[in-house]
Amino acid sequence: MASRRPLRTLISTGPSALRAPQRVRRVIPETSACAFSTSAPTRDPATEIQYEAQSQARPRWQQTPARMIAPVRTRPLPKGPQFKVNDSPVKLDEMYNRMLGPDGYKVLSDEVKWLAVTHKSFDHGRRGFNDRLAFLGRRIVSLQASLALINSPQAKTTPEVDEYGRTPYTHPALAGLPGLTSEAKDSVMQIWRLAPIAQRYGLDKVTRWKPRKADDLEASGQNAVLATSLYAIVGAVALERGGEVANKIVQEKILAPMGLTFSG
Amino acid sequence: MKRLRIARCGTQLLAPSAPRRPSCPCTAAFQRNSTPHNHRRSLTVQATAQLPDGETRHDIAASEELSEEPLKRAHSQARRHPPEALPSPHPRSAKQSAKLAALRSRLSLPSRFPLETLARTLVHPSADPDPAFNNASLSSLGSSLLSYYTTEHLFCNYPRLPIDIVFAAQYAYIGPKALATIASEWGIEAAAHPGGEVDPGLLQFLRLRSGEQLPPALRRRTPYKWNLTKTHRILVSDEFGSTSAEPNPEDLAKKPVPLEEAAQSFVRALVGSLHLHLGSPLVKRFFRDHFLSRQLDLASLFDFRHPTRDLSRLCAREGFEAPVARLISESGRLSRHPVFVVGVYSGKDKLGEGAGSSLDEARVRAAAAALKAWYLYKPLDVTVPSSTEGGVGAEAWKPNMIDCGEVIV
Repeated sequence: MASRRPLRTLISTGPSALRAPQRVRRVIPETSACAFSTSAPTRDPATEIQYEAQSQARPRWQQTPARMIAPVRTRPLPKGPQFKVNDSPVKLDEMYNRMLGPDGYKVLSDEVKWLAVTHKSFDHGRRGFNDRLAFLGRRIVSLQASLALINSPQAKTTPEVDEYGRTPYTHPALAGLPGLTSEAKDSVMQIWRLAPIAQRYGLDKVTRWKPRKADDLEASGQNAVLATSLYAIVGAVALERGGEVANKIVQEKILAPMGLTFSG
Repeated sequence: MKRLRIARCGTQLLAPSAPRRPSCPCTAAFQRNSTPHNHRRSLTVQATAQLPDGETRHDIAASEELSEEPLKRAHSQARRHPPEALPSPHPRSAKQSAKLAALRSRLSLPSRFPLETLARTLVHPSADPDPAFNNASLSSLGSSLLSYYTTEHLFCNYPRLPIDIVFAAQYAYIGPKALATIASEWGIEAAAHPGGEVDPGLLQFLRLRSGEQLPPALRRRTPYKWNLTKTHRILVSDEFGSTSAEPNPEDLAKKPVPLEEAAQSFVRALVGSLHLHLGSPLVKRFFRDHFLSRQLDLASLFDFRHPTRDLSRLCAREGFEAPVARLISESGRLSRHPVFVVGVYSGKDKLGEGAGSSLDEARVRAAAAALKAWYLYKPLDVTVPSSTEGGVGAEAWKPNMIDCGEVIV
């Protein structure tokens, strides 16, 4: 049987450290993560923190977890203008409609829609970030780009006799391989090529991130953040809707604007 | 002692010659297309060059008759380019190689997978710089395929895995050392030195002699950025999160490379060629049988610095009660080898338990166990994204869990 007395209270965050020990009302954010704790916490209405009652029903994307906010800001505010981040679901839905087609806003679930456009720099990663989705999305785009280079019509060249007098083995399946070179592959997956495509869909207006300098987004790395969001949307669609839908989106919405067509 | 020459003085002792076979109506056509043995090799060289696109050596019998001129040209070419002068074996020698046929059957590949392509996958750019004869482009395609299938397996089966662990797990499944091990398990042997006369079933690459330095492309690896963050690694680096880019195949042409590099390119090229010739369902089965069947203990990849702090922030983010460590049991507190079993609790729920020889050690181990329990969560049955490709598997599709990310401290 575990001892009643705690071994040593682990470092807890701001509010509970400053006040006398009290029971904190447990917040269950509506996320796809299942709740870990099964026991109901004991509730003491006299010492309940006020904002926790309001934050109970709000989704994860909308607010920072209450116990992760310090009560007093210790660092001075940064110089320069504040960067305003989109918090309107309507604008986000419009972006998805522009990118994924007429009913694009229905493709992803609510939390995932916001997670896919949230960079790690936003809110110190407390509301989740799109790293993992971008990782999967980049793998999908990389594979589709390779297949597009193989299937491109310019790639199908007739084999020539080389300096040793030999002709390579030909087969219909290997017809487009000369088109897949490392230079071609590297040139497709460049940040400076993906960022304008993301801007065309309006991703720069809805991506949630924190630039180093709000008045110079380019120098703060906006292109990289936009490319990450683009990959993350592809990854999210793959995990929620399947690879077929994700591949089609990559072919039509990312590779086709770059000039890579699929003949097959 | 002089040798008896049967032909001169013993012809009456020989058996009578067999009666002439009745002549076949298509003998003339057959004799036109089949040539004496010493002309056959040069003939096929010229024939392949003359045939229109897509036809192979097998179509020679069906093609129109070959004149004497190209025969003489082909014969002189063969004298100018003997097999030893070629950088890699000629594609036609793939059909005669026992090693290639044995490799194909050992991997249980169908016979419609051509041996010529299998031979091509064994040629590294350091042996033959010509992209039409080496495995560079096939290797690039295979690398994309392998990383896609591994990524979707990891993300669907372990949705909460931190990105560092994802990098490490990818390296364990399809990294250079893993692929080199797999190649040796498949029985791939390396040729001592590449050339046109080696058996096509051997892995051909320019070998690094012992004591020799690596080529500049593999030695001087400039990093992407001086302060490469994990998020930027996801954007620009490969699937292992490497700090520098992989060398291009052109930079490795005719340069000595280690065996690991050549074996890695072979395995990737094989997967790429399987995709092109046999289609993605077979590649997925091949990946499951040869790569996913390897055991990897993900729990051993974790290395926490401050698990108690991480766990505290995680509980705050998820809205659980603050974690509290309690002593569950102990033994030998005043002896030389005490054992303390500590559990970390959030309210009434035990998140993790750890044993140690001091109270602090046990508490830290308990916190690490709790974090591993969170990060290694595994849903029961998952459908991976590639299962819906080709229009199949749409009715069995189950949306995967998407986690918001690891806790940032």
